[in-house]
Amino acid sequence: MIASPKLRSLLSEGILEIILVLFCIFLSFSAPGFLTAGNLLNVLRNVSMQGVIAFGMTMVIISGEIDLSVGSAVAFAGCLTAFITQTLAGDTFGLPLHVAIPIAICATLTVGFFVGTFTGIMRTKFQVPSFITTLALMTGLSGAAELITNGFPLTPFPSWYNFIGGGYLFGIPFPALIFLLVFATLQFLMNYTSFGRSVYAVGGNAEAARLSGIDVNRVKRLVLGTTALLAALSGIMQSSEIMSGTATTAKGWELDIIAAVIIGGTSLMGGVGRIWGTMIGVVFLGVIMNGMTLLNVSEYWQHVVRGALILVAVLLNLLQKGKERQ
Amino acid sequence: MDSAVHRLETVSLRKEYPGTLALDDVSVSFTGGKIHALIGKNGAGKSTLVKLLAGAIQPTRGSILVNGEEVRLRSPRDALRRGIITVHQELSLVPELSVAENVLLGRLPRKPWLGVSIIDWRTVFDRAKDILTNLGIDIDVRLKAGRLGVAQQQVVEIAKAMSYNPSVLILDEPTSALAQHETERLFELLRTLAARGVVLLYITHRLQELQRIADTVTVLRNGSLVGVVDIAEASTARIVQMMFGEILQRTKPAGLVAREEPFMEVRKLSKRNAFRNIHFTVRRGEILGIAGLLGSGRTELLRALFGADPPDEGEILIEGTAVRPSSPMEMKRLGVALTPENRKEQGLVLPLSTRLNVCLSSLDRITTGGFLTRARERAVVEKSIRDLDIAVANAEAPVASLSGGNQQKVVVGKWLNIEPRLVLFDEPTRGIDLQAKQQMFQIIWDMSARGIGSIVVSSELEELLDVCHRILIMRQGEIVGEVRPSDISLDQLFAACMEEQA
Repeated sequence: MIASPKLRSLLSEGILEIILVLFCIFLSFSAPGFLTAGNLLNVLRNVSMQGVIAFGMTMVIISGEIDLSVGSAVAFAGCLTAFITQTLAGDTFGLPLHVAIPIAICATLTVGFFVGTFTGIMRTKFQVPSFITTLALMTGLSGAAELITNGFPLTPFPSWYNFIGGGYLFGIPFPALIFLLVFATLQFLMNYTSFGRSVYAVGGNAEAARLSGIDVNRVKRLVLGTTALLAALSGIMQSSEIMSGTATTAKGWELDIIAAVIIGGTSLMGGVGRIWGTMIGVVFLGVIMNGMTLLNVSEYWQHVVRGALILVAVLLNLLQKGKERQ
Repeated sequence: MDSAVHRLETVSLRKEYPGTLALDDVSVSFTGGKIHALIGKNGAGKSTLVKLLAGAIQPTRGSILVNGEEVRLRSPRDALRRGIITVHQELSLVPELSVAENVLLGRLPRKPWLGVSIIDWRTVFDRAKDILTNLGIDIDVRLKAGRLGVAQQQVVEIAKAMSYNPSVLILDEPTSALAQHETERLFELLRTLAARGVVLLYITHRLQELQRIADTVTVLRNGSLVGVVDIAEASTARIVQMMFGEILQRTKPAGLVAREEPFMEVRKLSKRNAFRNIHFTVRRGEILGIAGLLGSGRTELLRALFGADPPDEGEILIEGTAVRPSSPMEMKRLGVALTPENRKEQGLVLPLSTRLNVCLSSLDRITTGGFLTRARERAVVEKSIRDLDIAVANAEAPVASLSGGNQQKVVVGKWLNIEPRLVLFDEPTRGIDLQAKQQMFQIIWDMSARGIGSIVVSSELEELLDVCHRILIMRQGEIVGEVRPSDISLDQLFAACMEEQA
């Protein structure tokens, strides 16, 4: 094949983007209703809640850590918001809902941030791997969610609360807007700030980063804190969509999210990865689900295809790296 | 052990990579019973040749002959089967296993027991002991390999290689991590091996070793064979000339003197199991050497001064004010920098680009309120590349793709960008070629002229004599003397470092 070097580098660096576009073209011919504004916005909406966390998870993995607790954190955050709302609006405090709910949201986001910071402190002060702490939190937060809800969904929310997870602004699903906003923020953070640089350095070689005068511990705490904060945000969106705080939602999300990050080219070894890549990974998974549903492919097959996609994406990535090394 | 004299030849061996010719039709022959040094500066093709012989990569064309028979080496396993063994610079012993298990790794003797085959531990230890004794090595085979020093690990690695009865043994910079007296012991072992007819191929950067160990010297430059000479007929100057063509040997500028004002004063600094009662002063622009053997506490001292491993006791004053070196962040703020001993593990973030690495210490200088300014970053990166003469085709490529000398310059550049006032150099010339070394010295002198001081720790004592204003001698964690390069010879300095320790 004769190809200019430019085309070849586009092919190797943007291979996932190209496959995604080809896949979309295929779907727009074969799946009726795929290529409509309504459906595409729907895809964005469907991926938004896992997506906001995926961008945070990208930072965590680049920094050389992992967070397995995000699924439980989503459920916990939804329940906590519902619980605080119910308590504040209840007989003891008697606050009106339009006051209680903003307080509940702020409190939940704060708690989320501190849960992540806790993982960070365990990591930096006591050298407990984030894998272990977040594994413990995965169980712990799930149990805590059951505890505060007594095992039944809490439903203190008024109908306008549904806007966050189910509403539209200028014809675009509001959760999709949140998703895009989080993307833009983290894209900027990772590429145009000294903090972003430090994240790459810490994940690529923590000792070299420390000996360069970078505050490695602070970077790790902030990265883990931010991601847990985003998980709490996702939990609030989720509770708004289903209009309740339910302890059993978002089971297994952590693996879907890590899968999207890996498909996007981020290395589990740390130091390597892009927020944009995760965007592609998230959208790719969303499009596959959507397209196969439209094509009436059984859900079982969808899981098989997703599994294959993870492997193929990582393989393509490694092959490209191998070529660079030569 | 079989004592036939072996022979290794290459015929028009060629290796091309897209855009580069790594090895250009090299035809060379090595006979057993001699020690053949293979030298050349970084990028000369040494490692390409070694990788081809080890079966790690395939030649574009040309052939390899062992004892006159052409061999195709498609994998390291093939090479092993053909009797070619490589001992790499990075040791590969499993630290948690015993010496015996390491030597016999993958082929532990077994015996039947209740119908199954189990490891025969008695034979494992006996056989390993035989192998070591046969080579005149006295190491307890039951010790965990991780408990041995680097030198002993190296010896075990060589014993392991020899237990395969190789025709060809390739040693890739075996002495780079060894102290001088350990090197001597290694050389004795190598001479024993050579006497058995094995082809010994010895890759090194240390030219001063050649006269002591090599029989012939094979020089590569830019992928081509420059020539093979008998050591008896080759002076060091001749070899250097073969390696580099014509180069400029730089010497310390005559008028380079330290300023009067002290910059850092160290008083009674101690750290348990590392160093005791360290006392000295560095003036602005002064180049202070620390001479000492591996394990004398010199690296620990530098790390303590930089706050990487804070000292237990004592006082450090910077321009008369007491400071606590509690973290690298704190010392960086005070204008102190460290280029660590091991640049790949401690100095660089290998997956990141040269651009990102050069800016790593000076992020606050290319940002406003935490936000990056691309234009300022570009200016900083371009200035570093220009000032330090870093040979980099693409500043966006991972820094891992640079040669050792250029990587070292990136580490130094990273620190020059914070406009430091004192740079601590730990083994700044390890693993880099002569030309890059000369450039490192020039950088240190230029810094000195601008009032930036240096503390240089190096195992290459003659380099300290060339570069420094003043040299402290460190032995077993204490400073035992201070000399000026003009007042002492290399032999005397070496003896001063060694005393009571041999």
